[in-house]
Amino acid sequence: MTTAAIQQVRPAGARYEGIALGLATILVAGLLWLYVRELGQGDTREPLYDWQVSAFNALTGADQAIYNALFTAKDDVPYLYEDINMFTPDNAKFRWPSLEDFQDALLPPFYRDKSWEQNGSLQWTLYEPLAEGEMQGSTMYLGTDGRQPQQGSFLLVIGHVHAGFRNTNSMVIWWNKKNHVVMPQSGFRDGLILQGWREVVPYSGAQEVKRIFGKDTSKAEDQEQAEQAINGLFGDK
Amino acid sequence: MLSRIRTVPKTLALACLAALALGSQAAHAARLKVGITLHPYYSFVANIVGDRADVIPLIDADANPHGYAPQSADMIRIMSMDVLVVNGIGHDTWAFEILDAAGMRKKLVLIYANDGVSLIPVAGAPAGEKVVNPHTFISTTAAIQQVYTIARRLGEIDKANATFYRDNARKYALNIRKLRAEFDTRIAGADLSKFRCATMHSGYDYILQELGLQVTAVIEPRHGVEPTARQLAETIDRIKAAKVNVLFAEKYFASKLSDTIRQATGVRMYSISHISSGKYTPEKFIDEMRENLTTLATAINDTARGGA
Repeated sequence: MTTAAIQQVRPAGARYEGIALGLATILVAGLLWLYVRELGQGDTREPLYDWQVSAFNALTGADQAIYNALFTAKDDVPYLYEDINMFTPDNAKFRWPSLEDFQDALLPPFYRDKSWEQNGSLQWTLYEPLAEGEMQGSTMYLGTDGRQPQQGSFLLVIGHVHAGFRNTNSMVIWWNKKNHVVMPQSGFRDGLILQGWREVVPYSGAQEVKRIFGKDTSKAEDQEQAEQAINGLFGDK
Repeated sequence: MLSRIRTVPKTLALACLAALALGSQAAHAARLKVGITLHPYYSFVANIVGDRADVIPLIDADANPHGYAPQSADMIRIMSMDVLVVNGIGHDTWAFEILDAAGMRKKLVLIYANDGVSLIPVAGAPAGEKVVNPHTFISTTAAIQQVYTIARRLGEIDKANATFYRDNARKYALNIRKLRAEFDTRIAGADLSKFRCATMHSGYDYILQELGLQVTAVIEPRHGVEPTARQLAETIDRIKAAKVNVLFAEKYFASKLSDTIRQATGVRMYSISHISSGKYTPEKFIDEMRENLTTLATAINDTARGGA
């Protein structure tokens, strides 16, 4: 009877191969981690103050739909303001669009159609300051008493530079988790916060572009060069 | 002598033609050439610029923008543009490959149409998962926001036409809003309480949310990715449990999967356009959104009558 002789032969460089393989694995994992981090594959959560709320992460259903409609209406309101006051004499009071003006313009979320009903039939009211400086120069559109479960209220605050108290014109959208609220006494931020209002912050396309490309592409060096080149052709007319 | 007399008008005519050609060339040189990546952006830009700029599609009209592989002709087209309007948030990543391959990064101004859009997450995703939905152009309000952004940026570049672009953008926005008013007329009196919908992919979240219609389930776990057998079974269970009665599928990219779901659950299926195929025309966006809203109205009315 013979016993099979089994002999294990280790390659001369076995130890080094093992170390090299381990190092290569660590290197690949590290590079992958860097790739993911640098390409901005982070999440969509932006740092917020406790008096702010994210439209993307916190609002849902009807409230998110209303916010997004208000967000676009922020562009339309100044256009309508220009239309309405086109022929207003300088010494007369300029007015902001009324809720009837929004009906004529078919402008959501104010326009009363089936979508408005589906999104809770928010009741909108307009507060316009009667004189310069009153209400800290803020025009306010309040939407409240929605019919959807757990629906909040909305406030669009338009601050005017000419009315004092502010250095710039501004349009800010606020959200209050209460279903029923009354028109605030002040358009000032601190007062609104004390009454339970939270400024709604969007997750915008610009932020998503930054997340995807890892940089603010609008300020990218190559884009600055392209803008300079095109300004020479069209910008000085 | 006679031949000389005959030659004079010919020479004059040629001179006039040459002058016209030079004039036309000069006018052409001053026209902005605006590139676009997707069909809706062709309509948006064409309606904003009217006859004061040229609109150039980056890829062929019949190319599928989902997973598009850039072609050499795209590089030639991109080199003729002054500006390129992009979705930029995941629906035209191939445009950046073309941009780099053609060496146009420093020469072409990019307009990110979605810069000013408030984005929403993909509906029906597993709890806690918030994935950005890039289909902002299948909408009304988000579309208007993009129209305004494009018009504003074009006005910053082509200052002489800024007011013209802005006024056109406003008129076009009103036409988009009129689509919603038409839709409202079509569903007047309909009871929406029984309406429960699922969608094949996340392309319709913006328009459904704007209309106040919530999506119960989305079949594809990611855009263009078919679900596994297990995911499909779970989705079918979810559709049954939530009493979903309507399934919206893609008009241009048919899938056998939708038939499977229809057979398993008894939902009624309707097709919605992704507005990403066919000839580029200024009217395309409004025409196809009108069709989409008509389809939605039909689905709502069928459900209200108990037909689904």
